[in-house]
Amino acid sequence: MSGFRPCAIVPTYRHVDALRGVVERLVAEGLPVLVVDDGNAPEIAAQIADICVGVEGVELLRRETNGGKGAAVLDGIAWAEAHGFSHAVQVDADGQHDIARVGDLLALARAEPDALVTGEPVYDETIPRSRRIARWITHFWVAVNTLTFRYIDSMCGFRVYPVGPVREVARAHRIARRMAFDTEVLVRLVWRGTKVVTLPVAVIYPPGNHSNFALWDDNLRISGMHAKLFFIMLARLPFLVVSRLRGPHENSSRHWARISERGGYAGLWLLGTIYRLFGRRVCLAAVSPVVLFFFLTGSEQRRGSLSYLAHAHDAGLIVERPGWRLSFRHFMAFASSAVDKLAAWTGNIPASQVEGLEDGEFERAKQSGQGALVFTAHFGNPEILRAIATLSERWRVTVLVHTVNAVRFNRFINAFSESSAVRLVQVTSVGPDTAILLQQAVERGEWVVVAGDRVPVSGNERISWAPFLGELAPFPQGPHIIAALLKCPVYLLFCLRNGPRHRVHFERMADRIELPRRDREGALAASVAEYARRLEKHLRAAPLQWFNFFDFWHPAGLKPPSVSVLPQRDRTGVS
Amino acid sequence: MDRLEDRIRRLIVETLNLEDISAEDIGEDELLFGEGLGLDSIDALEIGIEIQKTFGVKIDSKDENLASYFSSVRELARFVSRQQQEQVV
Repeated sequence: MSGFRPCAIVPTYRHVDALRGVVERLVAEGLPVLVVDDGNAPEIAAQIADICVGVEGVELLRRETNGGKGAAVLDGIAWAEAHGFSHAVQVDADGQHDIARVGDLLALARAEPDALVTGEPVYDETIPRSRRIARWITHFWVAVNTLTFRYIDSMCGFRVYPVGPVREVARAHRIARRMAFDTEVLVRLVWRGTKVVTLPVAVIYPPGNHSNFALWDDNLRISGMHAKLFFIMLARLPFLVVSRLRGPHENSSRHWARISERGGYAGLWLLGTIYRLFGRRVCLAAVSPVVLFFFLTGSEQRRGSLSYLAHAHDAGLIVERPGWRLSFRHFMAFASSAVDKLAAWTGNIPASQVEGLEDGEFERAKQSGQGALVFTAHFGNPEILRAIATLSERWRVTVLVHTVNAVRFNRFINAFSESSAVRLVQVTSVGPDTAILLQQAVERGEWVVVAGDRVPVSGNERISWAPFLGELAPFPQGPHIIAALLKCPVYLLFCLRNGPRHRVHFERMADRIELPRRDREGALAASVAEYARRLEKHLRAAPLQWFNFFDFWHPAGLKPPSVSVLPQRDRTGVS
Repeated sequence: MDRLEDRIRRLIVETLNLEDISAEDIGEDELLFGEGLGLDSIDALEIGIEIQKTFGVKIDSKDENLASYFSSVRELARFVSRQQQEQVV
């Protein structure tokens, strides 16, 4: 791969109002810009020319006839190849893409020059309903056709194309030229073996925007395209299965944040429908073959499960000897929790089915009206409480999430129930701006919820090792630092399935977490160790509801300290 | 009226409860982090929060120059006054 040289391609047909702003902002990002005039009528073409001609760094390519977005983009990519560009950012001309994120998209492309980097839209309220429905149909089909069960927003036109592979695909196949282009080119690239990397981006539908997405016409075209792809997929099935089976071995033991939560989106959609129609039992029965498939093909997750089960067995939490049978039950417990999440968010788990809501610490904390930081973990199903809180009493909760996966789930949930009032803040690192947001939330009496069991992507920094099920495991310091900044009470919250019911486990961990400047690392380590100790204690109640399917004690890239530095429990810092 | 630099010095001492250091002890060009005053990233967060609250400016954690804004009292003052001016416009 010789050099990373990106340019931007803006196909435009009838969108002129926002074009100037889009072009100016791309130029400001330092990108050479190619505007493709897709056979616009003369007066619009003149406006486009007015915006582009004579502006430094902007080129205009005019198509004499309207060929559709796909044709315009492919022409643009041919131009990019001829001018020696390695990558092309596709940006819609109507201003719905958040151009501030171009730099992030390009950073990903630079890191993985062979991949297709695509924005994954996080819509605000302005998306028209018809567009939303069209997207649902498409997501489902893309998941089926690429056999990934991984949700990729194939219709987002905000992406970075690797020029070479796209030219190759375009030469070999006749790709749909109109709105179906975005999806088809993505599926074709996946088939070719191109990796797809996604980045969540905000997308807005500006008022007064006339979309060129003609609802019925384009939906028909899209359906036709999917059917075509589906039959081609059947022919290619052996190859796809092989590449999927081979997939996990290529870079084994990835960081959890990079493992897309398998069986995510389309699978959940199907489950939701089955649950609504037939109930929980049928739903679980229906997923068991899918779970088996993931169990058999997901060697990394299976190893993670077995490692956990062995630790839990040695620590006396589990009597049964860990093996494939138990590991499969562990996987099924995860599927069951996914079903419960759905049930909860669709209003099918009433508060009366959850024990511990009305009595004790939880009720007291809730009644006090005081803001708090709540630690949870990938253990049990805190989501159920979030659902109940949101659907019934509407407390405001702010949840810190680590990956796009959780944001995605939330978006999915919103499709099923309209009334979610939970705010998700995605963090990879907490800066002053996030911190102040959280502080304001706590001052308003909200609860900020954060999982304390997953280490940051950035490696060895800000990690404390604490004994957990008999071996030192890495825990993130971040949640404890946030707790110290927020200067508020810290609670521990889990919601565990107990037979047919759920039970809230809620306790106060500290009135405040303080990190005195003199021994900050020590205080952090003590707080982390305290969290790990309490977590282990609760794990006894439901050992199979531990949902970290990766090597928890030895995640990729992290080395345990060579000298044993077990923190003493009575060290101050947690008051 | 206090100089911005002095207000920032006091803010740092008060926010961090620096016991053995008074506001006057912090040189305007003294490095706040690492070798100079020896503050760490958690201190930076606390200072960042207070700066936002006190001066009504916004600190974007994606800003690549963040570390340089926080390098010394003088730089912080420069950053704050620039932000305040931008908001007026």
